[in-house]
Amino acid sequence: MSFFNPAFTYIREIFTERLPYFPANIRACLFIILFCVVAIVELYIYIALRRINQYKKKSQEKKWKAHIHNMLANLVIYDESDDTDEIIEHFFPRLQKLPLHIPIVKKILITEILTYHKNFIGKPAELLSLLYVKLHLDQRSREKVKNKNWEVKIEGIREANEMEVGEMADDIIKYTDDENALLRMEAQAAYIKLSPKDPFRFLDRAQERILDWHQLVLFEIITKDKKLQIPSFSKWLRSSNDTVVMLCLKLIDHFMQFDAAEEVERLLKHHNTKIVKKAIEIIGKLELESAEKHMFEVYFDQPLEIKTEILNAIGRISSGRYSDFLSSRIYSDNYKIKREALYAIKRSADLGEAKLREIYRQTSLENQAIINHVLDSRIKS
Amino acid sequence: MSKILIAEDEVLMLKALEFKLKKDGYQIDVAADGRQAMEKVKSNTYDLILTDIMMPFVGGMEILSYIKNDPVKKITPVILLSAVGLENIVLEGFALGAEDFVYKPFNLNELSVRIKRYIKQNVF
Repeated sequence: MSFFNPAFTYIREIFTERLPYFPANIRACLFIILFCVVAIVELYIYIALRRINQYKKKSQEKKWKAHIHNMLANLVIYDESDDTDEIIEHFFPRLQKLPLHIPIVKKILITEILTYHKNFIGKPAELLSLLYVKLHLDQRSREKVKNKNWEVKIEGIREANEMEVGEMADDIIKYTDDENALLRMEAQAAYIKLSPKDPFRFLDRAQERILDWHQLVLFEIITKDKKLQIPSFSKWLRSSNDTVVMLCLKLIDHFMQFDAAEEVERLLKHHNTKIVKKAIEIIGKLELESAEKHMFEVYFDQPLEIKTEILNAIGRISSGRYSDFLSSRIYSDNYKIKREALYAIKRSADLGEAKLREIYRQTSLENQAIINHVLDSRIKS
Repeated sequence: MSKILIAEDEVLMLKALEFKLKKDGYQIDVAADGRQAMEKVKSNTYDLILTDIMMPFVGGMEILSYIKNDPVKKITPVILLSAVGLENIVLEGFALGAEDFVYKPFNLNELSVRIKRYIKQNVF
């Protein structure tokens, strides 16, 4: 201490007795130095307090995490044959005793319940969903959905979706046509799961685009959920939203919905070539003979990709009614059209290959080469 | 009592698996990452190993590969756990000698039955 005393006395003297005698610039510098020293000391105190606080929070979090982990791990180990009500009766009072008014405890419980629900199916998932609602944890998801920030809204929707809180479907439907694509996508995906009575109601009101990758996500959800009641998707084929029509066509194709035949045929005159192409593809897959005439009617006004799709579909239907039309395509200038027409002829049940051999005898060397290619069974069309 | 090693980096999952298999009457050893699991595999003998594929330091495939290339340990059944059911990962696992593959989310009771079957097979 005796070492520091002269230094402290010197500094004190500078700021008390000698200060008035310094020139103005030196005085200003001294004040700046004093301000910086005080600021640094304050900063250190602030950092120390923050660290103590963080440490306290972390140790509290660790303690509650371990406690909640143990409780939940005990909950998920029950057998399928165990009585659900009995398990809930046993665990509900214990979970209720947790200080859920402390935000960190509530957050940990929700996060861990969501994690378990994501990783397990069967009894554990069922128990966790029941407890989630019984502990009113869905209330927090509801609040999140009502938040102004779209990221928080998405978080709330995801929680409701994961925990299957069906009561939130009505809160979520309004976001299924939101201008924010991410929010829209989450809301649509959740709505399908949360509204078992009418899971596709959002398609009635969809004005915004359903992006291609979003269609993929919805397609996966719809085709993999075995509990979902699949409607006839033809009812949305008249939608003014082309992306809704496209999604429904993909689903009609997947579920082989023959009842949609008439509506699909109507789409041959649609303004969007992607939709026309998909409609023709479905006509071919479902072998809708009634559509052959309509495809023939529109054939000549279509771009190349549609023309080849029509030839492919006629080949799949292989009614034989348009074999002359197919044969005449060999005189086209376009290789793709020739090739597709020849494959279509080949597909005609019994007479396909014989017909190709007949054409072979009467056609040019170039066409003969294409026929050889088509007749080669090692090459897939 | 059959001895099982569970290697899983997700604490919550590890605890659930540990509790469930202890309830089923097995002696359980746990590893919270791949390195720990590898050390335990090298120094102990187990009746079955349940390992996650994606773990820090050492992956489940490496552990599987080590076990199946060891002349003594290769008879130990290994069940792989994974959140991704990609075909090439599954094929790689089976090619390396894994007995089974379980995708998350899974049914704990179903996993328990599978484990029982592999341990029984190994005993006889």
